Amino acid sequence: MNHGQPDRDAERFLKLAQSEERGRLTVYLGAAPGVGKTYRMLQDAARRLADGLDVVVGVAETHGRSETAALLEPLEVLPRHAVEYEGHRLEEFDIDAALERRPQLILVDELAHTNVPGSRHPKRWQDVAELLVAGIDVATTINIQHIESLNDVVAGFTHIRVRETVPDSILDKAELIVVDLPPEALIERLEAGKVYLPDTAGRALANFFTPTKLAALREMALRFAARSVDRRLADRLEIGGEKTSLAAGDRLMVAVSPGKGGARVVRQAKRIADMVHAPWTAVVVESGSARGIRGGQREQLADNLALASSLGASLMTVAATDVGQALVDQAEELGASQIVIGKSRRSRWFEWRHGSIAQDVIRKARGVAVHVVPLDEADEKPERVLDPHPYRDPGLALILVGATVALIQALGGWISPSAVDLLLLLPVIASATLLRMSGAIWSAIWAALAYNFFFTEPYHTLDIYSTADVVTFMVLAVVASVIGALAGRVRRQAQTSAGVARLNAALARFAGLMGGLSDHEETARVACREIGSLLDVEAIIVALEGDCVNVRGNPNHTRLDMVDEAAARWALEKGESTGRDTGTLNASDWQFHPLKTALGTMGALGIARASQQRVIRPDDATLLASLVDQTALAHERLVLEAEARQVDTLRERDRLRGALLGSIAHDLRTPLTAIIAAAEAVPAEGAFAEEVRIARSESRRLQRFLNDLLEASRIEHGTIEPRWESVDLTDVINAVLRDLRQDCPGARVKTAIDADCQLVRTDPVLLRHVLINLIDNALKFSPPDSKVTVELECNEATATCRVLDRGPGLPAEREALFDRFHRLEGGDRVGGSGLGLWIAKNFTEAIGGAISAANREGGGATFAVALPAGGTAPGKGRSENA
Amino acid sequence: MRKEVLIVDDEPAIRRLLVSALDRSGITHAEAANAGEGLRLAAVEPPPLVALLDLGLPDRDGLEIVPQLAGLGLSVIVLTARDATDEKVAALDLGADDFVTKPFDSEELLARVRSALRRKAGPLATAHTREFDEGMIDRESHRVVLRGEHIELTPREFNLLWALADRPGRVVTHESLLETVWGPAHRRDLDYLRVAVRSLRRKMELDPSSPRLLINEPGVGYRLAAPEAEGLKGSR
Repeated sequence: MNHGQPDRDAERFLKLAQSEERGRLTVYLGAAPGVGKTYRMLQDAARRLADGLDVVVGVAETHGRSETAALLEPLEVLPRHAVEYEGHRLEEFDIDAALERRPQLILVDELAHTNVPGSRHPKRWQDVAELLVAGIDVATTINIQHIESLNDVVAGFTHIRVRETVPDSILDKAELIVVDLPPEALIERLEAGKVYLPDTAGRALANFFTPTKLAALREMALRFAARSVDRRLADRLEIGGEKTSLAAGDRLMVAVSPGKGGARVVRQAKRIADMVHAPWTAVVVESGSARGIRGGQREQLADNLALASSLGASLMTVAATDVGQALVDQAEELGASQIVIGKSRRSRWFEWRHGSIAQDVIRKARGVAVHVVPLDEADEKPERVLDPHPYRDPGLALILVGATVALIQALGGWISPSAVDLLLLLPVIASATLLRMSGAIWSAIWAALAYNFFFTEPYHTLDIYSTADVVTFMVLAVVASVIGALAGRVRRQAQTSAGVARLNAALARFAGLMGGLSDHEETARVACREIGSLLDVEAIIVALEGDCVNVRGNPNHTRLDMVDEAAARWALEKGESTGRDTGTLNASDWQFHPLKTALGTMGALGIARASQQRVIRPDDATLLASLVDQTALAHERLVLEAEARQVDTLRERDRLRGALLGSIAHDLRTPLTAIIAAAEAVPAEGAFAEEVRIARSESRRLQRFLNDLLEASRIEHGTIEPRWESVDLTDVINAVLRDLRQDCPGARVKTAIDADCQLVRTDPVLLRHVLINLIDNALKFSPPDSKVTVELECNEATATCRVLDRGPGLPAEREALFDRFHRLEGGDRVGGSGLGLWIAKNFTEAIGGAISAANREGGGATFAVALPAGGTAPGKGRSENA
Repeated sequence: MRKEVLIVDDEPAIRRLLVSALDRSGITHAEAANAGEGLRLAAVEPPPLVALLDLGLPDRDGLEIVPQLAGLGLSVIVLTARDATDEKVAALDLGADDFVTKPFDSEELLARVRSALRRKAGPLATAHTREFDEGMIDRESHRVVLRGEHIELTPREFNLLWALADRPGRVVTHESLLETVWGPAHRRDLDYLRVAVRSLRRKMELDPSSPRLLINEPGVGYRLAAPEAEGLKGSR
């Protein structure tokens, strides 16, 4: 077993366990339409049905082919469910009917299908996922180009981008069956009209069917299936304890940028991660520089991060000015051995001026493999974000420069002509501080022009006569541009870090508030208030109470309508985000995020916004995730605290009981000592001889009883700590007999001791108690005229002390012999605490011995205590007591 | 007038019992209910000879005043529970002479007290001889006489027997025996002591499996039976 990564092993076990419990997914994978996936699936289904499996067809597209339709004959087909959409009547797969019917296996064709809006899930693969969760096996079909991580590659050589994609994660657990057909055969089938192509896409799709493209698609399908088999095998082998992954401890990091290019890089990273079986992390660097992320790009960036997340990456955002260095540092911190990064194909000139992050990373990375994904310029800047006020910055810059010129003119002769160019830097600095980067650049332009126009000969033209003025003009232009650019950058950085600081402060404040609350109701109220004001939304907390969805935390919202409640219930039961803007039940007005903790789902946070915008802006997503985590943690803490209090109460009660018992026993002991001493002092003779004898024996019995109670309480509290020393068993037995003569003067005990017994390591005090209890027990059951024998016998391995009596022997149910309060039949007659044998057993075990009982030949019982001879004390050194 | 025995115990019933037993034997006594009073009564002139000390006192731990009482010249007999081996060893290490386990038999207690008083009255033996039950050991001539006969001992056995006979009838702790006979480096080598005691028993006991001379006090130490004359019968 690999001890270094117990968590990962556990996770793998869990994955396996889940896959046992959930339904199994079988995917018929084809390279292109028309290879016969549905046909093959139906054939297999017919065979399974014949095997006695309960098979039902949820959806099967026959595309009017009679031989396929014929295969449907023997199978039960679920009726489809009609949906009205924009005046059309569309038929969709009826997931509720499927769940209701609960077959063992259901066929759901076309995994990549998009459902009609208003369906339970936007995508058919989500329907399939729900069926699997419900424990129903599913068989489905898909073509290779619909797989998310391969989407780009396929689009790259077919020039057709398929919009309907299925995340790789759902295929991770699936049994893949490749339905293979050589390209030539497929083209023959196409020409024979045996391949169905939808009318609208017919021409475009026909581009697919060239032998080279089909060969490439076929190879991809086969490789994908091979990788999947490989991964499943690796999962099993790792659980079996064999570390087979080539990339042990490998981790992959991908740098995510906005735009379509970023998405391509993410998909490529997923494929590399799959090939090396490595976990991967998607990293965004918030640089605050001119080339950083701004405006509408944020939304694209959020989409790319969401894509990475759906492909199984963990996400991370870091703030830094030097993007390349930050990426290299982050890779080191993550222990990533591979970095995937995009690089645009731009002119050398552009790269020379701006540098290239990819080049930078390659130069700085040490001992890390860097994969560079080439991007087109179009990929890099897919959508130009339009400035809503394009003339504002140049206008304001012009006003500032104009005001300065007017001031210089007004001051006239007061200032030297050489100071004019310095004064003209003022509006540049001012606009760099107040406006955006472009404002600073514009004011530099205006200032240079104004200098030329107003202050160089010939005046009021843009001509320059003097060489000195040309130099001044150029210096002014350069200085103004540089100052503008620098000031602008400083300001943006300040804004970025102020933003990060605000976020951190808000989170810290929230965590502080949450930490101080003492009940669930209040926690919900404060969480809703704070989240509401931080994100400018309405917030509620929902939780399951019995079977009801309970709403709390917000006095304005105390009830949910049916759709909202369904979304809330889904989030609570399945632990997934649901509702508005999500993939599940998005008809709801609320968006629900489960409060997940180690103890399970504590509830869900619901958020809503009155307007039609997205509930959560993409750049608030990280903040929301943190707030959800904090809220979940606060609820978890309350639950744990309540549990801890309960445990404390129990422990305290236990401690009190122990203390009470101890003090009672102690209080009883002292007067008893006096009674015993007094009884012993009276001579047992004359008229009251019998009474004195009774007083003596009964007070001694009471004392033994009391000792039993005290010892039992020591055992119960686990406070028995043997003190090991080298012991001569003869000494212990003789000490026991001495005590016995003192306590029960009339006791008839004889011994048979092997005086040559070796020394043993044990606790003499505990052993003495064991023997006293056994002898006491033997005496109780012995007839008055018989003797109890104590034997000591040794061999190389064990020293055995035996106590033999001539009593009635052992009862039928021997297992209970050493139980607490167990008395042998007729035990009432002989009295006793019923604890003696139980104490003997516990003490024997504490000193590493074994106690046993047997019937004796010729009547009576034998109790034996076997101690390891010459045995060393477990885990302890020498005696502390010698 | 000198009191022979000082009783230090906070339990009135136990005190009354002890007083009654001592009265019966004609031994004079003083009583203290706590450690402070005990120390005060121990410091009077002339001091008592023997202290009967209960360790569970209301004002102080009885163990604390053991060295003070011993320092004042009293022979300290500690009253303790049977299982309290740590307490017994500690009391003996701190200078106590002997202990009696509770619940006690008043006859045994009286015997211990008388024996202690006798020792106080003056040495029974010469500087180089010690007596024990059925025997005598002579350090000068290196001889041991048991039941009227000489027995041969190794130097180690002889030293061990001397260490025990030096305090006849009283328990000597394992550690103290090991230190005296084997040296301070072997204070914890209990095996040495066990083996030596065994060979001594073979030479001295009538029945080595049921010893009556060399008595073990489990977890505490060994006791060599005192001469019959002192009233300590057999293994008691």
